[in-house]
Amino acid sequence: MPPESNPGSNFAEYDYSNFYYGAGDDPMNLLGPFSEWYREALPNGYYLYSEPLQGAPETRVHVRNRKTGRIHELINMASYNYLGISYRPEVKEAAIKAVEKYGLGASGSPILSGTFDIHEEFNAELARFKGKEAVVVFPTGYSANVGFISGLMRAGDSIILDQYSHASVVDGAILAKSNTVFFRHNNPLDLERKLGKAKGKKLVVVEGVYSMDGDICTLPELLEVAKRHGARVLIDEAHSTFLFGQNGRGVAEHFGLDEEVDFHLGTFSKSLGGQGGFVAGSRKLVDYINAFGRSRFFSCNLSPVLVAGLLAGIKIVQAEPELRQKLWSNVAFLRRRFAEEGVDIGKSNSQVMPVMVNNDARVFAVAEKIQDRGLFLQPVTYPAVPKHKSRLRISVSAAHTEADLETAVRVIASVLREEGVCQ
Amino acid sequence: MPVTIYGYRDAMSAFFEFPTENAREILPDHLEPVEVHHGTSIFAMTAFDFNESSVGEYGEVVMAVIVSPLVKPGERLPKSAMYPYLVATTTKAARDHAIERWHLPHFMEDIRIDFDRSTPNVGVARVSDMAGAPIAELKVAAHSFAPVNHLYQSFMAEDSGKYLASIVMEGEQSEHEDEKGSIVLHDHAFNKALSIEDVYATPFRELWMRNGRQTFDPLKTL
Repeated sequence: MPPESNPGSNFAEYDYSNFYYGAGDDPMNLLGPFSEWYREALPNGYYLYSEPLQGAPETRVHVRNRKTGRIHELINMASYNYLGISYRPEVKEAAIKAVEKYGLGASGSPILSGTFDIHEEFNAELARFKGKEAVVVFPTGYSANVGFISGLMRAGDSIILDQYSHASVVDGAILAKSNTVFFRHNNPLDLERKLGKAKGKKLVVVEGVYSMDGDICTLPELLEVAKRHGARVLIDEAHSTFLFGQNGRGVAEHFGLDEEVDFHLGTFSKSLGGQGGFVAGSRKLVDYINAFGRSRFFSCNLSPVLVAGLLAGIKIVQAEPELRQKLWSNVAFLRRRFAEEGVDIGKSNSQVMPVMVNNDARVFAVAEKIQDRGLFLQPVTYPAVPKHKSRLRISVSAAHTEADLETAVRVIASVLREEGVCQ
Repeated sequence: MPVTIYGYRDAMSAFFEFPTENAREILPDHLEPVEVHHGTSIFAMTAFDFNESSVGEYGEVVMAVIVSPLVKPGERLPKSAMYPYLVATTTKAARDHAIERWHLPHFMEDIRIDFDRSTPNVGVARVSDMAGAPIAELKVAAHSFAPVNHLYQSFMAEDSGKYLASIVMEGEQSEHEDEKGSIVLHDHAFNKALSIEDVYATPFRELWMRNGRQTFDPLKTL
């Protein structure tokens, strides 16, 4: 039983969700209980979050253990960088040249003094890649969803979201002040029910690949329902741009529905290993969002150094389709090996692969053992995922060798067996 | 006033998504609904099978909205808080007791609760009025049971004032989000506060406690 003066003494009884809501007369009331709980939680597994890398997010990384302070060399199974692009020599060289030419940052809003020639060059290249007239670029993926959704939708409108939508999608809907309704994950029947009651302008938001389960959206079915109800569709391809489809444009292209989807959003932080987000579409759309996407122009523009690296990265994506082939080959290898070892990866059918632990009390012990045996991999637990659906989230990269993946499988399977998670 | 203890065989709860608009219609102004998503609040139904109390054995159904707990420095942090907007019992004695002691809003007729434990790891509570008209059917599934001791808060409000009850729930608990349970809410006066078609019939969380006791601290006036 937690003593009254120390609610954190039994940290596993609580989680982040217990410290979000709290009535009272002082906004500081929750700080003390949270701090006490967090101090208890930190050495019991929460130290595995935000462990500092000592170099580039390559397939081998040196990481400082926040509990011991020691630095360990680990196989990196956690960084996005799905194509291993962020540390490619061409990318680094482009960034170095850019810093010599432009200095560190953009020093201004994109609508005032913060747009450089390299921004325009990159935007044109990205629009060509996506097969659209134009793109609008945001400083992060988060701000892309927030800025785009709140820039387009208004009070009195309806936004219908998949229940597993990313926080940035939800926050965009909140900022838009539209009526916001969630449909059951990937469920066209529930979307149909929710759209039946929707009023005003209607926007349905789905994601190409869902970031916690690694499953792909059921786009054809959802799109059919949305169109029948006169709703516009936004697809957030944060985890699928540059990977899916014949040209790597994303899941919409994968399904042959690139033209049918109204709004295409993506990020540069995942497959390109950089930072930033974008929306691609018609010139009219981009002009409008340039004018009303507040998160874009009330932020400093992306650093030209970063943009130079992204430009080099997108050229690599187009010049080397074999990178995607290698990624999917790695994904297939890992899926097969996990299946052979009896490791549950849930509904994943992408490079995002959750190793299901399904035990909130045990997931941190599992994660600690896995790190001790050489893998850089974080636990994901409630409230980021449902109760008792805790997991370790793997990001597969084209840069992984089969030897890396085989080691990862063996370590994970042996720890899960020791902990009684799998046979 | 000393603490009040109720012993139970089962306390079957399930938490359902329903529109925040509906939650705000139910709640008094001083309480804020907890949202599971923006625009989506939480309706909870609990069926109790009490086997020990000052008013004997009885069954009880509690319909509640989950609200922000009252957090005070130095005091034990509650697991969560609720506003029970309607309670119904199988006996008049239990109803009179809860109204007098806890200011809980009641359905003023006896109800019948049939607890069905015939399927392993599944509990069903079928609630009907004394004329046999169905009110609700709640089904919860078990994950794994472990002993717990959790603090909850219950807010009450009526013309005489606003109240807070601190309740410690002890017993074996199973809690999960496997979405195996269900609810059927019938068109009955008991359910008039809810926009039934907007309550998602599959609970996002199921919380089943058994073989435990519920300890109420003396009621506080807010």
